[in-house]
Amino acid sequence: MPDIIVCFKWVIDEAYIRTGSSGALDFRSVNYKLSDYDRNAIEAAVRLKEECGGTVTAVTVGTPGATKGLKDALSRGPDKACFVNDQSFDNLEPSQTAAILTDVIKGRLEYDLIICGEGSSDLYAQQVGPRLAEALGIPCVSFVQKLSIDGNRIIAERKVEEGINIMAAQLPALVTVVPDINNPRIPGVKDTLMASKKEVISVTADDLPATYEPALQTVSMTAASMERNCITFPADQAGIQAFVEALAKEGVLR
Amino acid sequence: MDFKFTEEQELLRQNMREFAEANVDPIAAEIDENSRHPAELFQKLAAGDWMGIPIPVEYGGAGADYLTHALVVEELSRSCSSTGFTVSIHVGIACMLVLLFGNEEQKKKFLTPMAKGEKLGAFVLTEPGAGTDVMAATTTAVLDGNDYVLNGVKTFTSNGPTGDNYFVFAWTDKEAGRKGMSCFVVPKGTPGMQAGEHFKKMGLRSSQTSEMLFKDCRVPKENLLGKEGAGLAMAMTGFDHGRIGIAAQSLGIIQAALDESIKWSKERVQFGKPISRQQAIAWMIADMAMDLDAGRFLAYRAAWMKDQGLTFSKEAAMAKLFAAEAAMKHTTKAVQIHGGYGYVKGAKVERLFRDAKITEIYEGTSEAQRMVISGNVLR
Ligand SMILES: Cc1cc2nc3c(=O)[nH]c(=O)nc-3n(C[C@H](O)[C@H](O)[C@H](O)COP(=O)(O)OP(=O)(O)OC[C@H]3O[C@@H](n4cnc5c(N)ncnc54)[C@H](O)[C@@H]3O)c2cc1C
Repeated sequence: MPDIIVCFKWVIDEAYIRTGSSGALDFRSVNYKLSDYDRNAIEAAVRLKEECGGTVTAVTVGTPGATKGLKDALSRGPDKACFVNDQSFDNLEPSQTAAILTDVIKGRLEYDLIICGEGSSDLYAQQVGPRLAEALGIPCVSFVQKLSIDGNRIIAERKVEEGINIMAAQLPALVTVVPDINNPRIPGVKDTLMASKKEVISVTADDLPATYEPALQTVSMTAASMERNCITFPADQAGIQAFVEALAKEGVLR
Repeated sequence: MDFKFTEEQELLRQNMREFAEANVDPIAAEIDENSRHPAELFQKLAAGDWMGIPIPVEYGGAGADYLTHALVVEELSRSCSSTGFTVSIHVGIACMLVLLFGNEEQKKKFLTPMAKGEKLGAFVLTEPGAGTDVMAATTTAVLDGNDYVLNGVKTFTSNGPTGDNYFVFAWTDKEAGRKGMSCFVVPKGTPGMQAGEHFKKMGLRSSQTSEMLFKDCRVPKENLLGKEGAGLAMAMTGFDHGRIGIAAQSLGIIQAALDESIKWSKERVQFGKPISRQQAIAWMIADMAMDLDAGRFLAYRAAWMKDQGLTFSKEAAMAKLFAAEAAMKHTTKAVQIHGGYGYVKGAKVERLFRDAKITEIYEGTSEAQRMVISGNVLR
């Protein structure tokens, strides 16, 4: 009966990011959501629990205000959550998040299996999972699209470019999952209402053994933009010719 | 003043949005076209506890508040207003009637399976000769031994052909006037009760509407809901609750009209630029967004007042009236923004336009809402 940890991130919902006139991103009226692939991670953990028993603990690192994220995650089936929160835990880099998770997990959580999303919806750096596994000294299987437990090992199907890679890894292990692994359930009303009644272990920066410095510096961030040229071409031989030439001139065709 | 939803309310609205995108959007056009009651969809709604949100857990509900129910009806209606309405009348009127007026036995027997979504409720008040003028009803219930015997013809019963528990209003004492009508729960299959064919309607097509015929229909005394003679007052209380749902349904329609109008106007290029950059179009969209918010404030306030235990019939009437008229106005504009493309089947705004009209008619016409509001303020 495995004890499973599932890591999730509460991220800005990209649908709410506006683009200012200069191309700068405007975050003033954003909403937050569970990072997309982390939903798959939670679903995978909960399905394994439904199959094999055991426990599921959802772990997140973030700012103290992210309580809605905890409820969202817990409404999807984990038994309890571990909320690593501090005002400074905003815009963390993957290396910082992984280091914090490492200390929290080593210090206070039992586990056989850790499940992460392949990457987060905001940065998609794909680093937290592998870094965490490395720091914990356990095997890491990434790009997992199918997962089962077989005694004291996992069987994981990896989605790789030229096919499927089937791997076995000894527990304890860590996997990062891709959305193909499942279709996450939509919590029902009672699931959501019961979420706030589940146990939440709160861990703050003061409880942690280290401080976690960033290694990167973000120089700037701008939106991709698409402008219409509003050129129309007639649908005849000459028009098509002119269209192809225009595309070539724009560098779209080479 | 606090304009903030609880985290639960926000999450549930979001979850219903996702549910509707996954389960309702794909079938909405088809169930409209075929006037089909999507039983499979209602099973899924039941499984997610969406069919009895404000009903206490001990009676099969989810035990949340009425505002959450309204938010859910709004999000459902944004995808399919027939479905939103069916949930609204089932919960807001049928379930609420038993919750508010039923005895313990009736709550166990009738409310619990309805709040779980296993059984569907229907509200049977309107008659061919008695629409706005409820008092003109002629259906009677006569006590005979341990049964009441119902006779009469009802019409426009939503969920008529598909319901399980029918809440039927009939005179037990016509002479007593406003204190002479009573309400009975008549389960499906009761001999003497028969549903007619479902009407072919302009909009709200997947909601099943029919006549209900009662011919010497015997219902046991235990199925009298509330006190004898209290029926009319109960129906009015049912309307107060139901109207918040109709307001929410209308808001869902406006939101969908706005979604479609924004999308289309940004994509459709005429005169060398997207039509959204024409002031005439942009202003239609501004008005739509404004009325959507105004309607929300009215509807959410009414729901909030209900949750606070305050009297809210005037506020519910205002919310329903405003949102319904705004839905009709703005779906007209949404079709306008789409031009010819909004006039053909397959365009969502075409369905929204047809679906909007009913919100000005049922659970009291717009004129009837003005009677309620003026009656309150002129008192
Ligand atoms: C799709 C659909 C579903 C329905 N579902 C249900 C249901 O589930 N249960 C149920 O019981 N009923 C239901 N109804 C009935 C609905 O509530 C009535 O249609 C509505 O109350 C209006 O009654 P009527 O149609 O008889 O119109 P009428 O009352 O004949 O009204 C016609 C017009 O006259 C106006 N009018 C009437 N009296 C006055 C007045 N005193 N002052 C000013 N104007 C007035 C009305 O506002 C309206 O504009 C449904 C109707 C439809 C179309």
